Amino acid sequence: MTRLTLTFLLASSVAVTPLMAATANNADGATVEYRKQWHSDILTGYQNLATQGQTLASQAASYCQTPSPEGFEQSKQAWLEAFLAWQQVRFVDFGPVEHRNRAWQFQFWPDPKNLVARKASYLLKEGAPITPEKISESGVAVQGFPMAEYLLYDQAFNGSDSALPADHTCKLLVEVTRHIADNGQSLANDWKGFQANYLGSDQYTDTTIRSAMAGLEILEERRLATPMGLRGNGKRSVYSADAWRSETSLAAMGASVQGLKQSFLPAFSELLAERKQPDLAEQIAQQFDEVLANFPELERPMAPLLADDSAYKLLQSLYIDITQLTSLVNDRAAVELGVVRGFNSSDGD
Amino acid sequence: MKTLFRPAPLALTVAALMSAGCANTTSPDAADSQPATKASVVEHYADVAHAGYEDALITAKALNKATDRLISDPTEANMKAAKEAWLAARVPYQQTEVFRFGNAIVDDWEGQLNAWPLDEGLIDYVQADDYQYELGNAGATANIIGSNSINVGGETLDVTNLTPELLANLNEIGGSEANVATGYHAIEFLLWGQDLQGFEAGNGERPVTDYATGADCTNGSCERRGEYLDAVTDLLVSDLEWMAAQWAPNASDNYRSQLMNADANEGVQKMLFGMGSLSLGELAGERMKVALEANSYEDEHDCFSDNTHNSHYYNGQGIQNVYTGDYRRVDGSLVSGPSLSDLVAQANPELDARLNAQLEASMDALGMMKAKAESSQNPMQFDMMIAPGNAKGASIVNGAIMALVEQTGSIEQAARQLGLEALSPDDAGHAF
Repeated sequence: MTRLTLTFLLASSVAVTPLMAATANNADGATVEYRKQWHSDILTGYQNLATQGQTLASQAASYCQTPSPEGFEQSKQAWLEAFLAWQQVRFVDFGPVEHRNRAWQFQFWPDPKNLVARKASYLLKEGAPITPEKISESGVAVQGFPMAEYLLYDQAFNGSDSALPADHTCKLLVEVTRHIADNGQSLANDWKGFQANYLGSDQYTDTTIRSAMAGLEILEERRLATPMGLRGNGKRSVYSADAWRSETSLAAMGASVQGLKQSFLPAFSELLAERKQPDLAEQIAQQFDEVLANFPELERPMAPLLADDSAYKLLQSLYIDITQLTSLVNDRAAVELGVVRGFNSSDGD
Repeated sequence: MKTLFRPAPLALTVAALMSAGCANTTSPDAADSQPATKASVVEHYADVAHAGYEDALITAKALNKATDRLISDPTEANMKAAKEAWLAARVPYQQTEVFRFGNAIVDDWEGQLNAWPLDEGLIDYVQADDYQYELGNAGATANIIGSNSINVGGETLDVTNLTPELLANLNEIGGSEANVATGYHAIEFLLWGQDLQGFEAGNGERPVTDYATGADCTNGSCERRGEYLDAVTDLLVSDLEWMAAQWAPNASDNYRSQLMNADANEGVQKMLFGMGSLSLGELAGERMKVALEANSYEDEHDCFSDNTHNSHYYNGQGIQNVYTGDYRRVDGSLVSGPSLSDLVAQANPELDARLNAQLEASMDALGMMKAKAESSQNPMQFDMMIAPGNAKGASIVNGAIMALVEQTGSIEQAARQLGLEALSPDDAGHAF
């Protein structure tokens, strides 16, 4: 079990990579134009996350002030919008998102021991006031989308005395969504402030490409192959997927691919074209569309697809499409550009 | 330099084979008097592994004897002796974990000995209201000791005779990795019991009367509990016998002979890959960072005995052993020989000095964790260090994490220095 969201980004700090070597002869910072584009495209994604996070926090606050079934449904919808906004930028594993483990704060995953449920039960039983400080010191399993999802969607919890809109639970929901909103806002601001640093250092070109490579790898291996039973012990299990409580594991994958297409692909295509690989750039763009063509049909719960062999075929074709995309980006393009990976957090068991 | 490279889960790639050709096995005597070569370094690596597994075996046999005494005569003194034997057995074993990554034969085997975290309710009684098990694990509360037949996910199994073979076959039953029926942590649970203290001081509190006979027996099924403990310690010994033999010199059909007959670059890759993977992904990441950032004592490595600080410390020691070629055996003798350090020093003395200093700094940081946990005044164990709001504890754990992260950077550089490119993860199973 390994959480790939933890990234130390070693290789970027120690390696003089071929990509940089190749550009060293050109005028200073030959890849700076691509980073300008990436910076802007990722900023768009972060700003969307900040906006959706604010909407979620306001919606949760207004629901808890005047609870109603409609308000509950609207809160779920706001959670989903914000969660999908996070999925779109989830691949970025460097820069301000590393600060204080923000990526984990947004989404602590995987959580095989159900730490989210345990922490919720602990906080609600303890009876201590739920304050912003309490959320800040309670660890990453409390601070993000999975906790809000647990409160809004968990079936067992929703059947209990603590179910929303119970007073203490409402306070927890309001503070957790506030924490998400604040994190989203800070992340967008910090990313703006990171611009000079990002543009000023050529090694961030490799770093950005590696983050997309890792994002695709996580998508293929951990988010899809593992619950499909294609990895590890061969058992199909929806609990290995993320967002199984809200049944949005697949929608989240679609959002992650869409996010890579919007925030990573444009500058990457230009870079490949400039390196005399326009055909490969075109193939990759087409393969993104192949993957996305599985949606919105596949925006549905994963569990029934795992339980039924004929429905499982839908997952298999998504898997094949994603594998091909990963192979184009991580093998062919990375080789052409000379981007190599060092040790990362996925090297454990 | 275009490397035909695929990311996980594929193999390490040798970009440039710098050294000349294959590993001709050199005898240790010859190697002592000559400059280190990749071949002599790999051979000595096998010597260190062999000594480590022999020590693990020696201490496991002592543990087996101590648990046999506990089972036949369940006294407080014998319980204490068994626990001490378990703690002693962890010292050499944890130093061998660095051999896991890169050597598929170890990685495929080690689950039966050291898998964690485990859903201990598979094995014995647990206090239900404080027991979190893996989501979807149908075997999490099976309680093998409590009955002669268990049902896991609709499948009924006869577990009347608790033999080593039966227990080995129960691992990962129902397809869940948390169903760990054997190994150090199963034994640990049988000696200490469930840790119900959370972030507070203290560990499991299993009464010795859990092994008593007749009316003195607590929590039921004491005889079966003894049979379980007997079988699981026997299995540990036979598993370690097998692995020690794989690394023994002068055999023609074991793992060591394969390693010696392969290109020496492959062996050097395995060494560096093992060091880097254990340093970063496993020890710094999975075993410390996750536990710390989520304040999760469920992610604590030796949670029943609160021996986590030693598990981490001796993991770190194992990494240093592989680089320096030095290994201090449990009898106090020193194994030493041609080392990775020698090889790196030949090519880049500055890098060698830096990596040696970083390995030393990691051992200092892990040593501080160990000292704090074992302090006679206000000891702070790992599960207390990771408690919410414990800034001092967090800084101790973070210090160790950062030291390990730094040394990993130099391990990558050492790999490049020795002509090995792209130490990509999850190599297990592809090299041989």
